[in-house]
This record gives sequence, C-alpha cells and structure tokens, in this order.
Amino acid sequence: MRLKDQVAIVTGGSRGIGRGIVKAYAAEGAKVAFIYKGNQAAADSLVAEVTQAGGIAKAHQCDVANHDDALKVVEAVEAEWGPVNILVNNAGVIRDGLFVGMRPEEWNVVIQTNLGGTFNFCHAVAMKLARQRKGRIINISSVAAEHTNPGQTNYAASKGAINSFTRALAVELAGRSVTVNAIAPGFIETDMSENVRNKAGDLIKKMIPLKRLGQPDDIAKAAVFLASADAAYITGQVLTVDGGLSLGAVAV
Amino acid sequence: MPSQAEIYQKVSATLVDALNVEQEEIKPTSTLQGDLGAESIDFLDIVFRLEREFGIKIPRNELFPESIFQGDPDFVQNGKVTSKGLDELRTKMPFADISKFEKNPELTAISDLFTVEMITKYIEGKLAKV
Repeated sequence: MRLKDQVAIVTGGSRGIGRGIVKAYAAEGAKVAFIYKGNQAAADSLVAEVTQAGGIAKAHQCDVANHDDALKVVEAVEAEWGPVNILVNNAGVIRDGLFVGMRPEEWNVVIQTNLGGTFNFCHAVAMKLARQRKGRIINISSVAAEHTNPGQTNYAASKGAINSFTRALAVELAGRSVTVNAIAPGFIETDMSENVRNKAGDLIKKMIPLKRLGQPDDIAKAAVFLASADAAYITGQVLTVDGGLSLGAVAV
Repeated sequence: MPSQAEIYQKVSATLVDALNVEQEEIKPTSTLQGDLGAESIDFLDIVFRLEREFGIKIPRNELFPESIFQGDPDFVQNGKVTSKGLDELRTKMPFADISKFEKNPELTAISDLFTVEMITKYIEGKLAKV
C-alpha cells in the first residue's frame, strides 16, 4: 500500500474523477476525507463503497468557494484523524458558452469554484504541511488550459491559472519538502464531460491517439503516483493524462 | 512579565521548531538566514509561532520588514544604505542592533540584522506595552 495511514483531503470527491481518486487513495491505505457540495446520495454511496472494500473514507459537505468553510473542514479532519498529508483540489464546474454571451455569474462561479476553491484549500493546509516538512498538493487542471475549445473562456482561464498557481506555490513550499503538482486530464468519461461527448460523438475518439476516452481511474492512478513516495522529487509540474489528445495528431 | 532570559528561551524553542535546528546551534547573535538557514516561508512561520507563544499580535512587516527602503530613493545609493536610510532603519526597527551594520551598510547584508537577540528585544518591547 503506497499511501498507508496518510490523511488525504479530496475536493469534489463524490463523483467523476474525484470519486475515482477517493477510491484509489483508500485502496492504497489512506484515510480519505472528501468534500462534496450537494449530492449527498452520491457521497453516502461512495463512503459505503469504500468501507465495503475495507477502506476508510468520510464525506464532508462544503462549498469549496467559501474560505471559512474550507478552514473548518480541514480542522474537522485533523481533529478526527490528525495532520493532513495530501490535498487534492479536484472540485470544478463548467458553465460553457461563447464569451460574447457569457453572463458575469457564469464567469464568476467557474473562477471562484475552480481557482478559488484551489486557493481556499491550499491556504487552509499549506502552512500545516510546511510545518510537517512533508506533504503533497495535487491540483486537477485540464488539457483545456492549453488546448481550448470555443465556449470555455471561463473554464480555460481557471485551469490555466491553476497551472501557474501550481508552479508558483511549488517554489514557495519546496524548501519545506512539500510538493505541488497538477494533473491535466483530457476527455474523461464523467457526468461533467457528457454534453461535450454527446455533441462530438466518435470524433473525440479519432482525436485521441490511444483511441479511447479516459476513465476516472486513469487520473486516479496518476494522482496516487504523485501522492506517493515515488514522486518525492517531482514538483511544480503539470502531468497531462489524456491518451495523447494534446499531441494534436490526426487519426490516419 | 517574563524576564529577558525567559523570553530568549521561548524564542529559541520557537526557532528550533520553525527552522528544524538544534538548540545548541542557537546563540543570541545567530542570524536567521546566514546561521540558521531561514528561508522566506520560515519568517512567516516564526511570526505565527511567536504570536501564539506570547499571545501577541505582530503586524505584517513590523518584526521582519521587507521593504524599509522602498519609500525614498535617497535611502540607498550604489548598493549602500545612506545615513538617511540608517535613520529610517532606526525608526522602523528600534529593536535591532545596527551598530555593526552601519560601519559597512551594504544593502545585501541587511538580513544580518535579523538575529535571535533582535527577536528577543522585539518581544520584550511588545510585552512591555501590553
């Protein structure tokens, strides 16, 4: 078990990629506190699933965009399980639409959740990890930060900022042996990507050299690696996990 | 109010925790950066720990001011702090012993003012005002 007895927090944990990361971390021996915003049924089912598999997970309801709530969740996790070792900022939303028609609230909610949530949870744990002189922060970005499609100015901006934030924070925390990395998933088969997948159909698979959509578990495996001792010398990096999508090759 | 020796003891213990150094390495004249290896994040950590340890509030840039000489171009000339700059230093950091620094006031040596003794004097002054 690569994460035995580690305490991990995973935001946006009840569904999609986050859910995959929670299950993978628990299977590797971590105690996983995951954050969900509203879908309690999904959260409860995940706790049940992890528990049945012999792992430890607990759900915490919280809006990641709220700084005070982030602090409270981290305190609650530490009161129950002790110091946090791993933070995965995965919570994210999309409000796709062409920029000229984008409402300010569609911009704001994406920035405040994706980027603001990452800030809030990093802010809540960074000094704690620094004091432990070890720790892992993993931010879930997106290939959309670098290879964007029309209708995602808000999402692309939030993810591009997460990449820059990841590098900048990595430099600040490196002296205390805390690593900060990001994972940039491509098309992953989740609820969030459903609309795009439905619209694009088989075209997506033609754009992906590995000829299949990604699964949450593909991202979870990368997240386990970056959280593990094996990744101790990696910091400030954005690891693209997209089946080769971002290479820009056209299927022949 | 605790004695200077008691304050020094607590400051030393704080630095042991914050900088991951041995107690024996800490002397009153030890400089935080040069002798004890402090990096930028460590200065914040030290401030947070001192606030908790002594139950005081340490305003940003008071104990470890970052930009003392930014207000006036006359404070520094050719990489050296001018007499005007030294006056500013005395005003902003009355708890620092600048007697050695003023003999050769190279700007790059400013971090040598941040010593264990300096923190102790700062805390002493703070507690006297409470």
